[in-house]
Parts: sequence; structure tokens; C-alpha cells
Amino acid sequence: MSGTWMTTRAWLLMLPLLVVMVAVIGWPLADTVRLSFTDAQLVGTAGNYVGFDNYTKMLTSSNFTRTLVTTTWFAVISVAAEMVIGVLAALLLNQEFRGRAVLRGLMILPWALPTVVNATLWRLIYNPEYGALNAALTQLHLIDDYRSWLGEPGTALAALIVADCWKNFPLVALIALAALQAVPRDITAAALVDGAGPFNRFRFVILPYLAGPLMVALVLRTIEAFKVFDIIWVMTRGGPANSTRSLSILVYQEAFSFQRAGSGASLALIVTLLVTVLAVAYAALVRKTAGSAT
Amino acid sequence: MSALEIRDVRKNYGSVETLKGIDIALENGEFLVLLGSSGCGKSTLLNIIAGLAEATTGDVKIGGRSVLGVHPKNRDIAMVFQSYALYPNLTVSRNIGFGLEMRKVPAAERDKAVRETAKLLQIENLLDRKPGQLSGGQRQRVAIGRALVRKPQVFLFDEPLSNLDAKLRLEMRTELKRLHEMLRTTVVYVTHDQIEAMTLATRIAVMHDGRIEQLGTPEEIYNHPATLYVAGFVGAPAMNMLEAAVEDGKLAIAGTDARVTLPQRYASAVRNGASVVVGIRPEALRLGPGSDADMSLPVEIDVVELTGPEQVTTARVGTQRLTATLPPQARAAKGQSCAFVFDADALRLFDPATGKAF
Repeated sequence: MSGTWMTTRAWLLMLPLLVVMVAVIGWPLADTVRLSFTDAQLVGTAGNYVGFDNYTKMLTSSNFTRTLVTTTWFAVISVAAEMVIGVLAALLLNQEFRGRAVLRGLMILPWALPTVVNATLWRLIYNPEYGALNAALTQLHLIDDYRSWLGEPGTALAALIVADCWKNFPLVALIALAALQAVPRDITAAALVDGAGPFNRFRFVILPYLAGPLMVALVLRTIEAFKVFDIIWVMTRGGPANSTRSLSILVYQEAFSFQRAGSGASLALIVTLLVTVLAVAYAALVRKTAGSAT
Repeated sequence: MSALEIRDVRKNYGSVETLKGIDIALENGEFLVLLGSSGCGKSTLLNIIAGLAEATTGDVKIGGRSVLGVHPKNRDIAMVFQSYALYPNLTVSRNIGFGLEMRKVPAAERDKAVRETAKLLQIENLLDRKPGQLSGGQRQRVAIGRALVRKPQVFLFDEPLSNLDAKLRLEMRTELKRLHEMLRTTVVYVTHDQIEAMTLATRIAVMHDGRIEQLGTPEEIYNHPATLYVAGFVGAPAMNMLEAAVEDGKLAIAGTDARVTLPQRYASAVRNGASVVVGIRPEALRLGPGSDADMSLPVEIDVVELTGPEQVTTARVGTQRLTATLPPQARAAKGQSCAFVFDADALRLFDPATGKAF
């Protein structure tokens, strides 16, 4: 059988998949690119070609800059907290104690819940009139009056970050726990005999085995956090006073609330580009970590 | 004062008793090998000495001091593991110096100790590499270096050569022997490889089912096995075991008409009519006819395997089997009827009921 026939056959076999991919990914993407160069409205006008106007308008608007800052804060703080809490939880759940299996199962629960359920749950906790957080804090005499955690620009983002951490730290913990199983018992024993304390054992023995898997968790979580939409939409809709508006929410508002399909498309592509840059940078980092951990 | 003293150590995991009362006392500079098949408790015992596991009852003393409840790092021991257990992200130099670093030994002093150890093990050129860039043999040297550099009172080795290929294992074995003869430190070494045990040990403890079957020099273990288990475990091919009965000063081999004279030294130990197991090493057998002073057994040769330096010859004596390691020039052929001859001194008698030697 000749090489060309093999190649032709391979392409023929992949053709159906390619057609589907072009239809559901390629075409919408191409159309979004086309839209982004027009002043099209969601309903009505098909729009005229406006060149890079949408891009310059979006990139120079204060809304975009402010939202980018908010999203970055959200992503950096929630991912960092999730990594730390996740690793600590994994280290705890890796100890031997009675009821460990039950606790390991329970831990996955927040992550397994649908985001909408999780967000609704935290809205109840933060409720300014009958929320559990207010009740707990007043009873502990940490605050005097009930507060509207999600209603004040000063606390809304922090409240969201807590809810997001609660939902997503189990993923990190699960990945870290799996990686901990791979730490050879002999090396831990060798470190004990060598006189390494808990901190040095973590740094020199455990961390090298955690680094690779944690890097994967970091990549996944950062990209997801940058694209965050659902948890914020359910809890605050980006408010109050746009203090919790993420890039995805801005795209939604531009394209659907204000019905500006053209500028909405340009904004969506800017966000896509940002996330792609992140993904590529992280992928390089993962390769580097994986290469050095043998 | 003993370098290491183990007194009536027992270990239970739930209802399972893995160690059933172990007693050992080691003098300074001894090389003790704990020999046994997997599951015999040898690694558990080593871990108890190291402090990685706690004995259920009993006492362990290192340098005369009881170390019950003492953290592994404070026991003045160093350990070499089967999997090398090197820290993957540290250089060879830091791997070797890690124990000193953790004990806050000044950098200059540490560096000097690491270099001396590396020189001793001929790995000076590897000091800047990471474990991932080393071969199995080199990793094992680093692991040994990490133990040596601390100059502990007792070295513990947990099957250190098992992960190496056959040729390298031989080299490292010789190297370990050289190191021990040079440094004269006390060693406890766990292995299931009897050749390692025979070549390295000053004393061997053969372990079986949580007990020490026999504790003795390699020569004693090999030539005077205390039990059937030791006799069968040490030596390759294994010692031949023939069922027999004592009949009027003779040993009647079961399943044949063959009789051999009961050696004089056993005359008072076994009573007439008793069942015994006759043990004889394969290398004690020669192809007959021998001289009148020899004892002999009529056999029919079954299989001949030439290994190079010798022919491993399996033969039938009645319904039982005998294996002999004959010189390659011996003319043994399948189906041939002949006699295996041997000295009376080569016979060992065991009690089949207790498994103990008479």
C-alpha cells in the first residue's frame, strides 16, 4: 500500500470530524471575527464595516480596564487560595485516621455541586437579613449590625472569592491527594532518618512530586477563573456598581444587554486572546516542570 | 557493650503476629545479614531498629542505650533503601549531605565530608548531577554515600542490591565488602539472596515466619543447618532431603532397598526405628564407584544440565530424588544407572516431626 493512499485514507477517515468541528467551532469563530469589524446590532441592522473601531473603543474604555483589573484580582486571589487550601487539605487527608475515607468522599461534594446550587447556597449564607454569616459574626461579637456582604462594593468581590474557593479547592485537593500517593514511602522514610522536620520533608520530598500535577491544576483553575461567569451572574450579576463584573459578564452585557453584537464580538475575541496567551504560557511551564521532575 | 541489642522483640499487626520474639546481640564491627523469603519479618525488624516502626513489645538498644520511642534521626543510624530513595530534585552532592544539612553542620565541614565520601565511592565526578541523570549503580553509590557520610553507629541496609542487574549486583557486593572491611562499622543487612548473605555476613540470622531459625556464621549456617528450613533455604541447588528410617545402625532410604551406614556421631542421638530426614549437599555427591571408605547410593540419572563450571545432575533413588553438582567432565548421561558416593561426614540428620537437626 502506497504512502499517499495511507495519507488519503487518513484524511478521509477524519473528514466527518473535521466537518463537524468546522461547523460548530470554525464557522461561529469566523463569524465572530467578521462581526467584530462591523457595527452590527443584535437585532435589526446587519452592520457596516468599521475596521478596528470596535477594538480601539473597547481597549481604551475605562469599563474594560476596570473589568480586567477586577477579573485579574478574582483569578489571582481565588486560585492562590484554592491552591494553598487544596494542598493543605490533601496533606491532612493523606494522614491515617479513622473516618478518612468518609471525609475524602465528603470533600468532593462542593466541587460536585452545580455552580448555580453553590452560588444560591452562598447567597443564602450572605443574606443581609437572615444569612448565617451575619448571625455567626454578631453572635461572636465580631460585628455589631447585620451587613449586606454582596450589596457593598467593598465586600462583594471578597465574598464571591470565598464562595468560589469553597467550590473549587476540592479539585486541587483531589489532584494533590493523587500526587501524594505517588510519593515513595522509602523517600519519606529516608528523610525521617536524615532528620528532616515536617517543613523540610514537604519542601524536599513531597513538593517535587506535587509540582507537576499542581501545575496542571493551576493552569486549569486560572483559565477557568479568568473566564468566570456563572457564579458571579447568580450571586451579584456583576454588581454592586459593577464591582464584581468579570470580563465574561462585560462581553455578555455588551452583546446581549446592550445588543451591540459588533463591539461584543470584538470584546469576546480580546478575552479569547488573553486566555490563549495564558494557556500557552502555562503549557510551556508545565512542560518545563514535567521535564525536571524525573 | 553490644553495638546493637534486640531483646524479645515482637510485632503484631492486628491479630497477625509478624515477629514472634527476636533476640540478637551484635558486637561492634559485625556484619549481620537478616536472611529470609518475603513475608518472614526481616524488613519489619529492620524498620523497628530504624524507628520507622514500633515494636509491640521488647527492647532495642543501640550502643547500650534503649531507643524505644526515640525518633529515627536521634538513633545514630543510617539506612540504605532498596529503591535508593534519593531526593529527585537535589544534586548528588546535596543528597549525600542532606542529613548533615538537616543537622545544621556548617557548610564547609559538610562539603569536606561529602567530598571525602564521594572519593571513597568513586563518584566525585557526579556530585553536580541530579539522581535522574544517574544509572542504577551510580544511584546506589549515592544512597550508600548518604549513609556513610554521617558516620553512624549502625548501618541498616534494606535489600540494597535487589534493583540492580546481575553483573552490577556482583560488583556492588564486592564493593560493600571492601567498604565494610575498611570502615569496620556495624551493619544490619536485609536480603533474600543467600549468596549475598554468605559472602557479606560475619553472622547470618535466617528468619522464617517471624522467628529466627538460626543465628550463626555463614560457615555454621551452611555446614551445620539447625533446621530443615535453613538446610533447604541456604544453598543452590538446595540440600537433598531423603526420607529414611533408622534400622539396626543403618539408614533405610524410603522407597528403595538402599541402606547406608548410620554415621557414628549420630549413633546415640537417634533411636532404632525412628524416622529421619537425611540431608546431603549436592556438591558432596560424586559419581561412583568410590573407595571402600565412601558411602554410596544406587541411582538412575534423570536430567543433566550443564551450567558451565558444573553439571547439575538430577537422579532418582527409588521414588525419591537427588541432585548432584558434578564436574563437567563427569560422564553422566540420562537413563544411566550408577552410584552417587559421599563421605559419612557430609550427612546431616533431621527430625521430620520438629524439623530440628539431630
